[in-house]
Amino acid sequence: MSNVCTRRTLAAVFGVWLLSTAGHAAAQERPVRWRRRSAPTAVPVTVFHSTQSANLPTAGTLKKGEWLVEISHRFLPPVSDGSDALWGFDGPVKNRLGLAYAIHDRALLGVLRSNLDDNLDVSLKVRLAEGGGPVPWMVAINGGVAWNTDATGHPNDTPVQGYGQLIVDVQPVAGLALGVVPSWLHNPIIDAPKADDAFSLGTHVQWYATKGFSFLGEWNFSEARGDLRHDAGTFGIELETGGHFFKIILTNSIRVNPAQFLAGTPFNFESGEWRVGFNITRLLSFG
Amino acid sequence: MRRRAAGRGGTLALAAALVVATAAPRPAPAQEFDVDTGAANVVRFISRASIEEFDGVTDRIDGYVLLTEPALSMGMETNDTEFYFEVDLASLDTGIGLRNRHMRDNYLEVKRYPYATFQGALVGVSALSTGGYRVDTTGTLAIHGVEREVRIPCDVSPAGSGYRTFCSFQVRLSDYDIEIPRVMFLKLADEIRLELDFTLRPAGG
Repeated sequence: MSNVCTRRTLAAVFGVWLLSTAGHAAAQERPVRWRRRSAPTAVPVTVFHSTQSANLPTAGTLKKGEWLVEISHRFLPPVSDGSDALWGFDGPVKNRLGLAYAIHDRALLGVLRSNLDDNLDVSLKVRLAEGGGPVPWMVAINGGVAWNTDATGHPNDTPVQGYGQLIVDVQPVAGLALGVVPSWLHNPIIDAPKADDAFSLGTHVQWYATKGFSFLGEWNFSEARGDLRHDAGTFGIELETGGHFFKIILTNSIRVNPAQFLAGTPFNFESGEWRVGFNITRLLSFG
Repeated sequence: MRRRAAGRGGTLALAAALVVATAAPRPAPAQEFDVDTGAANVVRFISRASIEEFDGVTDRIDGYVLLTEPALSMGMETNDTEFYFEVDLASLDTGIGLRNRHMRDNYLEVKRYPYATFQGALVGVSALSTGGYRVDTTGTLAIHGVEREVRIPCDVSPAGSGYRTFCSFQVRLSDYDIEIPRVMFLKLADEIRLELDFTLRPAGG
């Protein structure tokens, strides 16, 4: 009887203790460490910083809704004309005005206008794929149609041109970007008796020496046609700021729009034929 | 028989003592609050350089606050409180893709330092006339791999079963070894304002 009583007493004590500690036991344990609930945001792939080299496109596009404004000059007198021509800066110049709009993070619609033959160019670049890791890469396609509104007036003139490009960019080591741009061009010489097709292979390289300064080089292997007997070569520097790219170059080509540049150049790539040029682009966002 | 009676009395006394001891008032249970990642959270930095003003925004903040009481109250005990917050820096959007890349690659170096974190404790809670609380915090703010002790006040207001929290404070980027190129154009101010506006909800809720 007494044992039963004692057991009941202990059971009651245990019950009261359980009740009194129930709320405490329900409180959360102090976390020993933070357990992350999601992975950090993946850093977008970058190969070339700009959407174009001096003349060749890169696979990069803009953020949807962004605008890109461009003004580019190629001074006609070669640097070798010396101080009398202010090393070419006296001009005249072939210029290009450009406007591009990112209709999608992966698609860039552009309008370019050059005063060489008053070439008006409409293009669309689509970034197809990219990858990170130790060798970042990016692939895009670019296509456009150009209309030469002030052609030579020759009866054979065919003022419309078209082109398509595959763009492959890689960054084999940090700070060094390489690009290969095989291109097809329809009607490379607008006053030729018959419009035909030309193929070229663009290659370019850029070394980002600092956060805002880089060296660039370009070479476009093209088929010799008429006066356009030579490949176009370009080298120079690029300055990069918060929204601008400034490119200052020496080149043997003054044919600045894509359907003009891809066809080749009448000037040999030798120092006596180098011309000064520059590209300035400004990013704008009105969102 | 007497011994037996005495034994029963001892057992009862022990039981009573246990009941008294365990039924005494206990400290209120601790409560953890986590960032409600599904809420409209905003982390914003504001740069006002001489040439250009811009801000960067993300909703990618996460973390927790551990209180020693079930809820905030004026003058509450803060000794054993703790918190930890982190902001996913690669998600910052300044409105221009190129500037985003500059922020990620040139300034914050997010591949090496993907998060900005703030870890510490509450040091004071006072009531605001708006019905919320001014919560003073102290802790370690880590950005770009550099840790600094800071005190940050936050305004906290009840929101459902949790709290809406707003903190605003200045950070000098040079304090965190963030180098700003000064050769071309100064686009990013050295001193930037950080604003955090996010919701906390009870953990597991």
